[in-house]
Amino acid sequence: MIKINTGDSRPIFRQIVDSIRRQIATGELEPGSKLPSVRGLAMQLTVNTNTVAKAYSELTAQGWVESRPGLGLFVSKPRKLFSDREQERRLNEAIQQFINQVIGLDYDAGQLLERLEREIKALEKGQGRSAGNE
Amino acid sequence: MSEFAIRTQGLCKHYGRKRVLHNLSLDLPRGGIHALVGSNGAGKSTLFRLLLGLTEPSSGSSEILGCESCQLTPALRGRIGFVNEEHTLPEWMRVEAVMEMQRSLYPQWREATYREVLGNFDVQPGQRVSELSRGERAGFNLSLALAQSPELLILDEPTLGLDVVAKRAFLEALMFIGTDSGCTILYCSHQMEEIERVADNLLIMERGELKSVSPPDEFSARVHHWIVEFPERPPANNEIPGLLQLRRIDDSYQLTVLDAGEPLQQFLQDRGARVHCKLQVSLDEAVNSYLAKNHRTAQAAQ
Repeated sequence: MIKINTGDSRPIFRQIVDSIRRQIATGELEPGSKLPSVRGLAMQLTVNTNTVAKAYSELTAQGWVESRPGLGLFVSKPRKLFSDREQERRLNEAIQQFINQVIGLDYDAGQLLERLEREIKALEKGQGRSAGNE
Repeated sequence: MSEFAIRTQGLCKHYGRKRVLHNLSLDLPRGGIHALVGSNGAGKSTLFRLLLGLTEPSSGSSEILGCESCQLTPALRGRIGFVNEEHTLPEWMRVEAVMEMQRSLYPQWREATYREVLGNFDVQPGQRVSELSRGERAGFNLSLALAQSPELLILDEPTLGLDVVAKRAFLEALMFIGTDSGCTILYCSHQMEEIERVADNLLIMERGELKSVSPPDEFSARVHHWIVEFPERPPANNEIPGLLQLRRIDDSYQLTVLDAGEPLQQFLQDRGARVHCKLQVSLDEAVNSYLAKNHRTAQAAQ
């Protein structure tokens, strides 16, 4: 289920992208399953169709889903999306971003690690599509 | 056919000595949902009245669907929908009669849209308009406006007074009338969460001037929130580049800034500031901080 929070600092199209990627990573959306149509998702979420279209084109560009002409968008088979080097760079960027965001918050290292571990384990519970590790 | 739904050039309006609109130039392309925000008295309703030729500008010009606003013919008016804030409808008429009248006036009438939107309200055909609650009247009026399938639809605070379900139904109808029939929609609202969901384009007005025109997410990307400390001398507000709002909590300063990348970073470095974090903000925070900067306060009015 995709949830949209207005008032989030992420724009809505980004929330849709993140949410679908997470569903794919946890196996909630399996390879080959069909995404709702642009109009269908727009209606379901009450968001502009252009916003959904933008999210879908980003997911397609990143290789998470693929378009079958006339049929719609389908979740792609797991495959390595990035080179080792690019993967390393992205991981580093994500970590730095995380650090910058939590640096001003009142949690110690133990608490932060515990929370991270819980979130990451939740991803692995599914079929364990780990984009890039196959 | 003009490629613009709305064009204004140097539009000014004074009421007596009060300046309500100042030098407003706007080119609004056809299609899409354009949301207009601004504090009370920013001139939004005046702009609508000028566009529709209901009042004359003090100077400047405005065009709507390629025709000058003050020369709109009845045929052109038939292609333009307008819903005012008060949802003015003939009080003494029955719902059914109002609908029949509208249906006969608009050849493009969409019965399905009318029924779908009105279906969310407990409005009976035999009721008189005067017997409807404010929300019901709004729902009825909006159903009529959407069913006319206008080329251009102008709405002044359309969702004010609607409950959550009715609001959602209305927004859905609004979105799909935009996508399906290529209707251009211009509406003003204070509901940022609505705008975030449905608007392609965000227009910000302040004290009679048009300040920003861009997609909503591009506007929020211009605003950031910094939490910093100044171990030495704290700066004066007017020294901080791009400052919209400042809050001081104990020793830390929470700065909300607009378009302040390099210059702010340089400034903080020069002042020996400690930066705790730099955060993105939501559309709601971005717009509110922007409008709060110059908002009239009791102090400023003294």
